[in-house]
Amino acid sequence: MNEFELYNFNPVTPEIVKQLEAIVGEKYVIFDDVESLEQYSKDEVPDPAYRTMPEAVVRPSNKEEIAEIVKLANRENVPLTPRGAGSGLSGGCVPCCKGIVISIDRMNKIIEIDRENMMIVVEPGVVANDINEHLEGTGLFYAGYPMSVETCYIAGNVAENAGGGKAIKYGVTARYVLGLEVVTPTGDIIELGGKLVKNVTGYNLVQLMVGSEGTLGIFTKIILKLIPRPTLQADLLCLFNSSDEAISMVPKIITEGGIIPTSVEFMDKLSVQAGCEYLNESLPYQNCGAMLLISVDGNDAEELEEQYITIGKFCKEGGATEVYVADNSSTSERIWSVRRNIAEAFNLISKRQCNEDIVVPPAQIPEAIMFLEQISKKYGIIIPCFGHAGDGNIHARVTCPEDWSDEKWHDSVPLILGEIYAMLRRTGGMLSGEHGIGHKRKKYMDQVVSPEYLALLKGIKKTFDPNNIMNPGKIFDMV
Amino acid sequence: MRIVVLIKQVPETKSVKMDEETGTVIREGVESIVNPLDLYAIEAAISLKDQYGGETVAVSMGPPKADICIKEALSMGIDKGVLVSDRAFAGSDTWATSYILGETIKLLGDVDMIICGERATDGDTGQVGPEVAAHLSLPVASYINAIESFNNNSVSLSRQVEQGDEMLDVALPCLLTVVKEVATPRLPTLDGKIRAKAADIQLITADMLKLNPDYIGLKGSPTRVAKIFRPKVTRECELLFAKDDATIHAGVDKLYAFLDSKEAL
Repeated sequence: MNEFELYNFNPVTPEIVKQLEAIVGEKYVIFDDVESLEQYSKDEVPDPAYRTMPEAVVRPSNKEEIAEIVKLANRENVPLTPRGAGSGLSGGCVPCCKGIVISIDRMNKIIEIDRENMMIVVEPGVVANDINEHLEGTGLFYAGYPMSVETCYIAGNVAENAGGGKAIKYGVTARYVLGLEVVTPTGDIIELGGKLVKNVTGYNLVQLMVGSEGTLGIFTKIILKLIPRPTLQADLLCLFNSSDEAISMVPKIITEGGIIPTSVEFMDKLSVQAGCEYLNESLPYQNCGAMLLISVDGNDAEELEEQYITIGKFCKEGGATEVYVADNSSTSERIWSVRRNIAEAFNLISKRQCNEDIVVPPAQIPEAIMFLEQISKKYGIIIPCFGHAGDGNIHARVTCPEDWSDEKWHDSVPLILGEIYAMLRRTGGMLSGEHGIGHKRKKYMDQVVSPEYLALLKGIKKTFDPNNIMNPGKIFDMV
Repeated sequence: MRIVVLIKQVPETKSVKMDEETGTVIREGVESIVNPLDLYAIEAAISLKDQYGGETVAVSMGPPKADICIKEALSMGIDKGVLVSDRAFAGSDTWATSYILGETIKLLGDVDMIICGERATDGDTGQVGPEVAAHLSLPVASYINAIESFNNNSVSLSRQVEQGDEMLDVALPCLLTVVKEVATPRLPTLDGKIRAKAADIQLITADMLKLNPDYIGLKGSPTRVAKIFRPKVTRECELLFAKDDATIHAGVDKLYAFLDSKEAL
């Protein structure tokens, strides 16, 4: 860490602050106020080691102001870190090189619902959930669904290419981003893509921007594709005796069951217990070795019923000891809240943990889960696993035993992660499925990607951001 | 033992919208669910059956599509479903509804216990349960938070009151309304859903009940809604902010003066 020592950026001086105030108004600049700045020093990564205080925060209201700020940062050689709602899990919005944080929270308007084209145009600070609330009654919906849907901003979803629980059927955020208006790292305002379903006019820079973690520019307008809203959903909560039994069902549900569910979430014994205890949930989880949460959606009640009965029976044949069904919002909420609260439950159990976001080809999921069980036995630690198993993405929380010293923990982490990443190389997996690299995982990049690939990424960064002022120190270091 | 559970279908509260003009609930296009407080009644009935054996019957009065809620009860483990449905019932208030439900229970016959939720989340009156008991001249125990034990003649209950719990022994047959402390509702199972899908729900209509036509529907409902309005919030809120020693003292002084002026100190 200590990225700010790595690069020779200038400090944010009172003169620079004056210029910022001239651009956005005094009210929208935070400087010299530790308490107010503190909330911009972090995201949802629990480890305080990944936090850095910004020197100033600026809250612009339009693209012109952002362009002015970016030009100022280039002139003064001060780093800029774009920030959405701060619900990220890799430190993407943490100003690890200090400098200025640009918060887009004031740019939160829904610009246009274009029903003829089935698209919506939004400002970057719109809360993801609000999009679908706005679309109520139109018969359309936006299918991006990160787990932090109630808080996260759409720009953060695009910058991290957020995935979430429904990716197995609906894909990740990238699939829905058709156009972007971007302030580039040199302060130009450019439009990429548009209201076009097809477009091969030059390189696909829209998709380059998606998942670029705020290192290639700041989004000021986003055009999203909408699809017809499914009116019905049913969820199955399947209880298994062991992780093996549960996880081996995952690839089979689609290949043998012939149905693409909206989501297939896996929760191992530890996750199930943590989630249920946190919620005071009375499900018979005590003797359960693992659970699968499987959802299907559609518009025809009978067809949906047939689908969940098929999948449910299939799980029972595969060893499920009980299958619960939720086909209305009250039971559905009860089932999903177990899954949604696991992360929070573990945050209370231990602060010393590495939240891994590994992804492997979907068929390799059983192999990956069994490997993680071996690793946890070998090192005497716990690795609760939960996540979007259906799409190959697992959140493995390498958690420090209570009786370990900090030294032992810090010495063991690289060894444990090293073994996990070696497994990723063997299975064709990758470091992060949806949380991103940020400054949290960049030191492990060379363990899973080739030097040539990294060199290309750096070349692209250099082209966009010659002075390296836009979210420096993320994904990789430029020195 | 035979236990009847009275359930109601209600609009899912999160998606409910009000008609600003008439002050009534817009029910079109809103998902219908089992009244959440009735789930505790269903669970109480199923657990009693698990412990003591017998039969559980879910009875709901409503339009034909209320069968979805009866099927939900069946998929949780209720044995039999009865839908009380007739155009002649439209507009019934709690009095007329409880009269019709009471007559239904007479028709079913041989009932040891009737369990209801505390109230429904839409009408919020909490009247139907006790009124059914009145129509049937049965003892009623409301706000039950635990069913302690059970024998052929009576049931031992714990009843939530403001000062604590009342312990009651009530003769059977009787009617209980239960609060959520009574049990945690189980989730419907796949086997339950499959069973519910195939189950025949008994339909009971007006002419099967030998009802007094003056006691049902809008005509039989003494309740009159005179006016529906949104209460005005008359409270005024003042926020006091403090960020250092100087401002905190000023804030405390102000708060003290305020509380003093209200003679709260």
